[in-house]
Amino acid sequence: MSETIVKVNHMTKKFGDLLVLNDVSFDVRRGEFLCIVGPTGCGKTTFLNCITKLYEPTSGEILINDKPVDLKQDNIAYIFQEYSTMSWLTVEQNVAFGLEIKKKPKDFIKKEVDEVLEMVGLTKYRDYYPSELSTSMLQRVVIARAFAVKPQLLLMDEPYGQLDVDLRFRLEDELLNLWRQTGTTVIFITHNIEEAVYLSQNILVLTNKPTTIKARLENTLPFPRNVTSPEFIKIRSEVTDLIKWW
Amino acid sequence: MASKKKSYVWLSVLSLVVFIGIWYLACDVLKLTKASTLPGPVTVVGTFIDKLTQTAPDGATLFQHIGSSLQIAMSGWAMGVIIGTPLGIAMAWYKKIDLYARPLFDLIRPVPGLAWIPLMILLFGIGLTSKIVTVFLSAFVPCVLNSYTGIRQTKDVHLWVGQTFGASDFQMLMKIAVPTSLPLVMTGVRVALGASWTCIVAAEMLASTKGLGYMIQQARGIYRPDIIICGMITIGVIGALFSWLLTLVEKKVIKGVKR
Amino acid sequence: MTGRSLKGVGSYRKIGAAAISIAVFLLIWQLAVMFTDVGIVMVGPVEVIGRFFVSMVEPIGHDTIQMHILWSLSRVMTGFILGSVLGIVLGILMGWFRPMNALFRPLYEIIRPIPPIAWIPLSIVWFGIGEPSKYFIIFLAAFSAITMNAFAGVKAVDPELIGAARMLGANNRQVFTTIVLPSCVPHIFAGLQIAIGSSWATVVAAEMVRASQGVGWVIIRGQDSNSTVQIMVGIVAVGIVGFALAVLMRWIEARLCAWNVRGK
Repeated sequence: MSETIVKVNHMTKKFGDLLVLNDVSFDVRRGEFLCIVGPTGCGKTTFLNCITKLYEPTSGEILINDKPVDLKQDNIAYIFQEYSTMSWLTVEQNVAFGLEIKKKPKDFIKKEVDEVLEMVGLTKYRDYYPSELSTSMLQRVVIARAFAVKPQLLLMDEPYGQLDVDLRFRLEDELLNLWRQTGTTVIFITHNIEEAVYLSQNILVLTNKPTTIKARLENTLPFPRNVTSPEFIKIRSEVTDLIKWW
Repeated sequence: MASKKKSYVWLSVLSLVVFIGIWYLACDVLKLTKASTLPGPVTVVGTFIDKLTQTAPDGATLFQHIGSSLQIAMSGWAMGVIIGTPLGIAMAWYKKIDLYARPLFDLIRPVPGLAWIPLMILLFGIGLTSKIVTVFLSAFVPCVLNSYTGIRQTKDVHLWVGQTFGASDFQMLMKIAVPTSLPLVMTGVRVALGASWTCIVAAEMLASTKGLGYMIQQARGIYRPDIIICGMITIGVIGALFSWLLTLVEKKVIKGVKR
Repeated sequence: MTGRSLKGVGSYRKIGAAAISIAVFLLIWQLAVMFTDVGIVMVGPVEVIGRFFVSMVEPIGHDTIQMHILWSLSRVMTGFILGSVLGIVLGILMGWFRPMNALFRPLYEIIRPIPPIAWIPLSIVWFGIGEPSKYFIIFLAAFSAITMNAFAGVKAVDPELIGAARMLGANNRQVFTTIVLPSCVPHIFAGLQIAIGSSWATVVAAEMVRASQGVGWVIIRGQDSNSTVQIMVGIVAVGIVGFALAVLMRWIEARLCAWNVRGK
């Protein structure tokens, strides 16, 4: 097993004549928490969708464990911006969804689901349907569904973008806990600089269309981080300066 | 809200009582109408009780007619559901099937099921087959239409979730698209039942020797509107009953909807 | 809409596929009629289409096929217009005034589950075998479909809109004409769409039971004279007009409520 899990080589994506991603290259280390920040509408989502083959890149390649992406083999989970719980499944069945798709044995699924429900604190709500839960609970269901498959790579596309601040802080802390407990590699997309600095070990700053990588910053602040500490604010303004396009 | 609702119940009761009262007074007591045009409610109830046991004048008791109609309507409806629903699902999910089967479906879709009755009688005779095929056609169309629309309501984000977990095309169909379509599939099944019931009544009026449609058509020939009204009420009650039963099934089958 | 729709497929390919599948279907039908036992009872598409055009000049019974269509259409339109006007008025009244709902709901619920077709015998007893009995049946078909939709339309009006209007000082009448009426138009059109389909089916049935002209009569007379080709001509006419009516309704709806096109 190599140290690098994801390797993106000269990836370019065009929609017709519109150049969205221009020659993007970077690596992600195993177990790393990488945040990608950039102005709204800069092609961050396109970028993740290329990794998961929801779009085919126009040129360049993406390697996972030195091989081209194969969603049936590579264990990837993706948390989308939209609410993606399935209304016809209970919390428990929603969380088991990925494992069911991967055709794991019944008792194995039961065990994994119990474990992950406990981790996100949804055990009490296992038989509820999504329509009976609050937004924060729904977000936890989605996160539990992702962690249930023990992904080697977790992609998150502005998962907390529509939540209020208080709830976002809580879920961010929960996410960090899960990340540390499981050692999953996370690529987290956001336009919120504070969120990026709070969560990440590395920050990739993207420019506006056509998107290229403007900078890669290492963020070595110790966890748990304090958003009001001078070190935090320093990194935050550094990223902010990079992102300004006016 | 609840208390306000209650205060109008008397109006509903009153409206029914007045309706039946006027009908009773005008037809049974004052005999303003001829019994061969509009019999009163007492006459109708009397006929209804008679028809439970008597075969005159159309050769079968009410229950025999009901049984005959139900048998045909149910077989045709079941065939329509069993064939139509999967076809609608397949058309919505597989592009190739949509491209080639949809035009043929669109060809028969605007023809109401009952317009096929004479053709089917010529092709299959006046027996059961011709009626079952016609009922099948009227049930088939709404089943295809609704399951097709239902599959089309699948959310992209759910498909993406499946795809990133490595789901096969068939897994996405069975685990995401079909559950999404279920409410509309059930609507189709319910609409199909109504269509089947209408169609069998029409088929029996045109060519039959038994069944509720036959009964009311015969009663018209001999000027017995009391039997016609009995038949119509029976048809209505059975239709409403089945639609209510299906709503119960729907509630059991469709999960996770806020009620 | 899912990424799986035919959005990505060019319209040439769509038309091409449709042409191929319909051509193959007609060919199989024609060959089956020409070379197998199917030909004993069934006629081929060539003969049906040919006869359809012939019947545009040579009358079936007393009328050419387009006259039969006009007969049926005039019956549908009379009943449909009567039924929709009354259905819309009653539905809206029932939706807006709770006592009206309490008063008419029980009677409506008695009539609703009875298929309009089942009224044919009674309607003949009451109104004779002429036109009025057909108008009455089609009236019922249209009426029962539209009333419920108009009612549902009023019930679906956003209470916040009403609240906002009242806060701006609108009186009952203004709320009704500026908010309730416009927002139940889409529901009413959904009802009209169902009603026109069910009226068309009903007129065919009514003409099959008792008439001396109209498309339903063409079909049933075909059966009486063992003429499969005449039945098929009738079915083709029923299909074409049914399709045209549905398209027409959708077109009117798109013109009248462009802000709210149902579906896609």
